[in-house]
Amino acid sequence: MSTQTLLLIAGMMLVTYLPRALPAAFLEKIRPGARAKRFLEMIPYTAMAALIFPGILSADPQRWYVGLLGGGMAAVLAAKKVPVALCVLGAVGVVLVCNLLLPA
Amino acid sequence: MTRRQQYVAGAKAGAPVIFGFLPVAIAFAIAAAQAGMPAGETIGMSAFVFAGASQMMAVSMLMQGAGAGTIIFATFILNLRHLMMSTCIFHRMKGGPLPARLLVAFGITDESFALFMTQPEQHNSIWFFFGLISVTWSSWVGGTAIGAAVSGLLPPLLAASLGIALYAMFVVLLVPHVQHNRKLGLLAIATGLCNLLLSQLIAPSWALIVSTLVCAAIGAFWIEPNPTEEEPT
Repeated sequence: MSTQTLLLIAGMMLVTYLPRALPAAFLEKIRPGARAKRFLEMIPYTAMAALIFPGILSADPQRWYVGLLGGGMAAVLAAKKVPVALCVLGAVGVVLVCNLLLPA
Repeated sequence: MTRRQQYVAGAKAGAPVIFGFLPVAIAFAIAAAQAGMPAGETIGMSAFVFAGASQMMAVSMLMQGAGAGTIIFATFILNLRHLMMSTCIFHRMKGGPLPARLLVAFGITDESFALFMTQPEQHNSIWFFFGLISVTWSSWVGGTAIGAAVSGLLPPLLAASLGIALYAMFVVLLVPHVQHNRKLGLLAIATGLCNLLLSQLIAPSWALIVSTLVCAAIGAFWIEPNPTEEEPT
């Protein structure tokens, strides 16, 4: 492995690990109040929403609606309490069918 | 639940990530090969950095001739979102000695965060999270190794169709929580639109952080705690 790449990987590892580890080291010393607690509890939902949209529109690089169709299938299956892995496969299936029927 | 049962339950909960990570890891390994990175360096990056979006970005910046310093700074900005995710995870996680917490912190990704935070109360131990990230890390590194070995053998049509997998997983994790809580659903939609708007104005990695934090703050004031979700303190 070249020194240049070794430095790059080590640097990327360090700057990625620090934000991951800081709360592990210091969080126990902080007792959040009721409002701060509500804020922390809301973050997973807003973070997931932001991870989904608008990124899902570029799941298919050429056609924005293909990602929406796949995500819609996943949402419908999830609402019917289908296991997570099957929902994901259902979404992949919808995109595969789109790619087979409507070549970009 | 014993530690062993917690670990196994965590590993099982991580199973859907295998579908999501394998294709993305294979795509990353193929891109790295095109950028001229040897297989060992590509697999090493996956094993030690373990953050897909930033690795993909690093490879494309390398192809454009960017220096290591620039790539490391961009990686820092892109992965700063883990700070808020880690805060939530360690706020929820009960117990565990500091060295163990520092070890499992390495496994915090968008996916392990989303899976851990949507688990029922009895799964909030460090052992459950350790089982979960054992599976996510292995599938990421394993997928990279597979991609480095067989780059080009995956049918292009299938490879293109797998891009939806990670998004689908986030949708599946979010839906049960917004399904019976109209305000939470509206908040999720508002967050997505806020992110869309902001990503036109600022870098997408910052748009993600800002929209998540701003909308969570709105939610903290607007949405009443669900009595059944209230944690005993």
